[in-house]
Amino acid sequence: MRSTTTRAFIALVVGGVLTLAAFLGAFFWAGVPDFGFVRTAERADSVRYQGPFEQAIDETRYLTNFIGYDVEVVSGGETFRGDLLEADEVHVTLQTAEGEVRVSAAEFESGLVRGSSYGRPDWGQKIFYFHVPVAEISFIVFGFAAFYSLRFIMTRKREYDTKARISMEVTLLFVLLTMATGILWTKAAWGVWWDWEPRLTTYFIMTLLVVAYFVLRNAVEDEERRALYAAAFSILGFIDAPISFFITRLIPSNHPVIERGGLEPPMLISFIIAQVGMIAFGYAIYQLRMGEVLLKDRIEHAKTLLER
Amino acid sequence: MADEQHSAPALEVRDLTRAFGVRKALDGVSFDVPERAFLSIFGPNGAGKTTLVKVLTTLLNPTSGTAKVLGLDVVDDAVEMRKRIGLISHNPLLYPDLTAEENLLFFAEMYGIEMPEARVAELLEAVELDHRRLDLTRTFSRGMLQRLSIARALLHRPEVIFLDEPYSGLDPHAMDILDGLIAAVRADHTFVMISHDLDKGLELCSHALILARGRLVLFEPREAIDDSAFRRTYRETVGMGVA
Amino acid sequence: MASTSMRQFRAMLRKDIVMELRTKEMLMSMGLYSLLTMVVYFVALSQAGSSFDPRDIAAGLLWLAFIFTSMLGLNRSLVHEKDQGCLEALLLSPVDRPVIFFAKFIGNLIFLLIVEALTIPVFAFLFLQGNALDSGALALIPLVLVAGSVGIAGVGTLLATMSVNTTGKDFVLAMLFIPLMYPLLLGAVTATSAAIIGGPEGVAAFWTGMAWVVGYDVIMILASYGLYEFIVGA
Repeated sequence: MRSTTTRAFIALVVGGVLTLAAFLGAFFWAGVPDFGFVRTAERADSVRYQGPFEQAIDETRYLTNFIGYDVEVVSGGETFRGDLLEADEVHVTLQTAEGEVRVSAAEFESGLVRGSSYGRPDWGQKIFYFHVPVAEISFIVFGFAAFYSLRFIMTRKREYDTKARISMEVTLLFVLLTMATGILWTKAAWGVWWDWEPRLTTYFIMTLLVVAYFVLRNAVEDEERRALYAAAFSILGFIDAPISFFITRLIPSNHPVIERGGLEPPMLISFIIAQVGMIAFGYAIYQLRMGEVLLKDRIEHAKTLLER
Repeated sequence: MADEQHSAPALEVRDLTRAFGVRKALDGVSFDVPERAFLSIFGPNGAGKTTLVKVLTTLLNPTSGTAKVLGLDVVDDAVEMRKRIGLISHNPLLYPDLTAEENLLFFAEMYGIEMPEARVAELLEAVELDHRRLDLTRTFSRGMLQRLSIARALLHRPEVIFLDEPYSGLDPHAMDILDGLIAAVRADHTFVMISHDLDKGLELCSHALILARGRLVLFEPREAIDDSAFRRTYRETVGMGVA
Repeated sequence: MASTSMRQFRAMLRKDIVMELRTKEMLMSMGLYSLLTMVVYFVALSQAGSSFDPRDIAAGLLWLAFIFTSMLGLNRSLVHEKDQGCLEALLLSPVDRPVIFFAKFIGNLIFLLIVEALTIPVFAFLFLQGNALDSGALALIPLVLVAGSVGIAGVGTLLATMSVNTTGKDFVLAMLFIPLMYPLLLGAVTATSAAIIGGPEGVAAFWTGMAWVVGYDVIMILASYGLYEFIVGA
């Protein structure tokens, strides 16, 4: 009993210290990334759309996110500059000093997003240090849950069911944290709370899978049957999640990705610290819940002994 | 029945435990039942009677310990064993939207019986349902269902027959018919019966067993049982006190 | 051994079909349910105006109808195994558990395909009249229909076997089924939509969607098949 509590406490302290360190690192040490490392809206002023309009179409969804921004569009050798009013597959409409200008697909040569037309603070990107580690860990813990579920199906030992269930609880927590941080960032960067964008969609599906796991558990009366069903479902879910992830590429995306070339050391180090901190944090929750369950089991055991 | 001691035991249960976590449905149960015996299992609700029968019929695996039926292990030889056991439950285990004949033919196929039509006709006659063989079992009375369910259980000529509270919900007439059917095959089969009815269970059995909280409280051959002492033990385990 | 399993498989399938032809429970409820869905679609689209082209969303509407009707049928198919403890009788017989899975899976697939085959003409009659359709690519639709239904029936059989033992069967099935079905649905809708729009690009997009659906089928049905033994015996 003491060991799980002690482990949980140590992990909690380590997690807390590292997360704080990562926070300080992220805000006071790491710079705002240049475009090319992390494609974020606030540094988008170096994006240039070159070539035929069809290629720019792929970026149309991206472009629509800059509505209201100051853009520069080259068309028929002429350069127009103004606020982006509208962007779709056929036209781009700007509000220039001379009035509205409509540039059609056929004439579009290149475009330049000069930046935000309203002063947005730079700290939007900082969520990266928390959002990404939390999201990654949710996948890892989901993996653990599936692993323990498989072990349970093979051995039928209740301890594996308990481990799988607690892993799933931690997954749920991290999934919700990812959703929360993600939604905040989407609002800050894209101007909307939600977008049916591949990463978000996949992640939404994963959230539903994790919720469904607990719905299933609550709906089965017999303890062993519950454990078996839950194990089977978490394995199916774990196979399903990557398929969802890859298939969603059928939808075009504008979710930022870390591009090749990596991060500058201050960013990378802060990021890694945050990641380790989050792992410790997740582990602490896992151990705390484990301690609680073991204690309950002991009470249950004592009860059955008393009944005899 | 003089050679009972010499024949191989029909049931051989050794330290059988079935547990999930700390909760034990069966806790170290051991007993032997000879062939052609009739074992009655008594015990209060939640004593582990159903679990014991489920383990013996390969529907559940033991957590530890072993159980052998007809010398076959319930885990390793499950498929072979299923061909040689039958179950009559309080649930008819029949499809209401199939006719009596279709139901039996279907299960005959599942057991891979040769010449299923002949066997099914023979059994329908034995349970006196051949006049209703083309009727949906949905339209059958409780007693008729139970008779058909017996025919289903006997299709593949099982050597061990498990009875899970077969009398519950039967009217007196249906009970008589069931008694008659059991008596007819009693001599060359081993029976295992779960029962809440002490009188019935004691009347039929050659061995009696009481379970309470997953543990074996008592296991004795019928000859050794003193009726009033047995009843007292049973009442104590059920928790009703001594009447 | 294989012939025994084949015999058992055929007996189970025949039994399901005989029962269905007798009661018409699944086909009737699924068929009527999909008709009702059409009414709801009409109401939902009633304010869309004349510029709206129903072909754009026809694929989505069709699969929406299929997914909900299939859940209705899947639940039914396992409920009557459970009703009088017949599943227990099956498990007591010397049948390999995968045989039960495949018999139920194929039975569900057949009923699902029948309902789909009936739904599509009704849908086309109600919503797609007067719209030019590229008949060349339309011939591809049965392919994605079968591939999609295979996935629905395969994974659905496993999930329904679980949900039939839960409190609140229908809700639990929906909760397990829809998130797991998401990749299949997306692939199937992409492919169907591409086939409706037609043209060389449509055909290419069709095969992309189709590849996803088939890939999903292979992976998820293997997993369901592997897990079924543990689920059905629990």
